[in-house]
Amino acid sequence: MTQGILIYAHNSRSVDYALMAAISGGLAKKHLNVPATLVTDKFTVDWMKASQIYEMANEIFENIIVVEKPQTNNNRKLYDGTDNAVVPFINSNRSSAWELTPYERTLLIDSDFLIFSDRLSEYWKVDSDLLISESINDIYDNSRLRYHDRYISDVGIKLYWATTVMFTKNTKTKIFFDLVTFIRDNYQYYADTYRFDSKQFRNDIAFSIAKHILNGFEQNNAEDLPPILTLLDRDILYSVDKKLTVLISPMLDSNFCAASIVDTDIHIMNKQSIIRNKDALMELI
Amino acid sequence: MKFGYLLIVAEHDSIDYLNLAYALAISIKNTQKPGYDQVALVVDNKEKLNSLKSSWVFDHVIEWKEEIFWDGRSWMDQLSPFDATVCLDVDMLFMRDYSHWVDYFLENCDLYVANKSYTYRGELIYDAYYRKSFIKNHLPNLYSFYTFFKKNSNLVNEFFDLGRHIIKNPIEFTNTFLTEHKPKILGTDEAFALSAKILDITDQIAYPLEFPRVVHMKPMIQNWPWPADCWSDHIGFYLNKKGQLKLGNYQQQDIVHYVEKDKISTEMINILEEIVWKK
Repeated sequence: MTQGILIYAHNSRSVDYALMAAISGGLAKKHLNVPATLVTDKFTVDWMKASQIYEMANEIFENIIVVEKPQTNNNRKLYDGTDNAVVPFINSNRSSAWELTPYERTLLIDSDFLIFSDRLSEYWKVDSDLLISESINDIYDNSRLRYHDRYISDVGIKLYWATTVMFTKNTKTKIFFDLVTFIRDNYQYYADTYRFDSKQFRNDIAFSIAKHILNGFEQNNAEDLPPILTLLDRDILYSVDKKLTVLISPMLDSNFCAASIVDTDIHIMNKQSIIRNKDALMELI
Repeated sequence: MKFGYLLIVAEHDSIDYLNLAYALAISIKNTQKPGYDQVALVVDNKEKLNSLKSSWVFDHVIEWKEEIFWDGRSWMDQLSPFDATVCLDVDMLFMRDYSHWVDYFLENCDLYVANKSYTYRGELIYDAYYRKSFIKNHLPNLYSFYTFFKKNSNLVNEFFDLGRHIIKNPIEFTNTFLTEHKPKILGTDEAFALSAKILDITDQIAYPLEFPRVVHMKPMIQNWPWPADCWSDHIGFYLNKKGQLKLGNYQQQDIVHYVEKDKISTEMINILEEIVWKK
C-alpha cells in the first residue's frame, strides 16, 4: 500500500502558506520517511516562483497538484503574540483530499503542523480506514483551551481536529469525504442543526459532523490519532536550532515564559513566527 | 430463576407516575428478548390501570399502599414477585436489548447497585453538583435507579433492612453519618449509599463495571458551559416511529433516565404502543 503525506497551501495576502507547507512537508518527509504531495493553486505557485521557493518545493514534494483557488469569504483573527490581524482563510477544499491524493493511505496535515518525530508512523498500519485527532493539548496547560476547542458548540458534538487526518482511499472513506463536502455546501443547515456559529467555515467542524453521522450519531470511542500538541497563536516560536525555543503566554497577555521542545510534533498556530524562523527550520529538513 | 423488572409508583399531585411506568414497561417489551422482558408494577390502586390501553405490559400488578411516595422503593426486595429483580426508576426508557447485562448479574451477584451515569453525549458523569452530600461525607456513589438483587440472600436482606431503617430514621442517620453536608432529603440513593458504607459492602455490590449504562438527564451534569434549569430548554427530545430516541444530536443506545416527566406525552405513548402492538 503506498503511503504519503498531503498538504494544502493557498496563500493569502498575509500568510505564506506555501512556505509553511514546504517546511511542514520537508519535516514530515524526513521524520516519517514517506513522500509528500502539495495541493496548491496557480497564484500560490506564481508566488513560490517569485519568492524562489518553487525549486525547493519541487525537491520536497514528489507532486505539486495545482487546483482552482477556492473562493472564500472566510476571515479569521490570527494572533502573532500580542499583535493580531484579521486575514482571509482559504480552507474550503480540504474535502477534495480523497480525489487528489496519489497515495493509497494518506496522512493529511495542516501546513502549520511540524513533525519532528516518527510517532505518526505507528498509524500507517492501524486497522482503521479513517483516523482523526481527537483533541488538542495546549503546550502550557489545557486550562487555556476554550469549551469550543472540545465541542463544536455549547450542546453539540465533540470536536475532532482535522489538523492531522489519516485515511485509506476506499469506498468507505469516499463516503466520508463526500459527506464533508455536503456539509460544507450546506453549512448553514448544519450550523442550525448542530447549533454552532456558521460565520467561519471550519474543516474541524465539518469533519467532526461527518464522523458523528457515519458513526450512527453516536460518540465513537475507537482509536484515533493522538492529541495534537499545540502552541497557541498568542504564543511565539522564538528560535530554532536543535530544539525549538518558544515563548508561552500563560495568561494570554503580554507576559511570557520560555520553554523548549525537542523531537516532538507540534502544531504552531502562530503562523508568522514560523515564517520568521524559516531559514532555521529549513536547516532541519 | 425467574427474572423481571420491578417498577414502583405512588400517588402524586401533579405527576402521573403510572403513565411513566407504562412507557417504560412498553419500552422493555419492545427491546428485551423473551425471558428478560417481564415487568411487575407496584401501585397503590389497581383501578388506575383501567385507563391504560395495554395494561398487559405489566405481567404482575401488586397493589400496595403501606408507604407514601418514594419510601416504597426501599421495600423493593419484599415486593418483587421475581427470584431475581432489577428495580428501576420509572422515568426511564429502554433503547436496546440489555439482557446480557442481566446474564452477568444473574451469574455473579446477589446485589448490584448502579454507580456510574453518563451524559447524553456518552461521557461519564462526575457529579459534584447534585452529590455534594455523597462527596463531603465520603459515601459510595450509588444510584438506586438500577438495582439488581436476588431473593433469599443474607447480603440483600441486611442491605435493604438497614436501608429501610435509615429511611425511617433520617434525622438520626443524618446527624450521625452525614454531618459534613446534610442532604435536604435523605432519599433512596443516600439510604442505599449509607447502608453500603455502614455494612462495608461497597466493594461487593458496586464494584466497577462498564454497565449498567444509564444516561442521567439532570441538567447541571451534562458538561455544558453554563448552568441549566431544564435540559429540554437546550436540546431536543426526538422519538421516532421506530422508538429510537435522539437527545440533541446524539442517538441514544443506553437506558435514558429523562428526569423531565413531561417528556412522556400522549404522542410518545402512542408511538411506543404502536411498536409493541406490532411485535
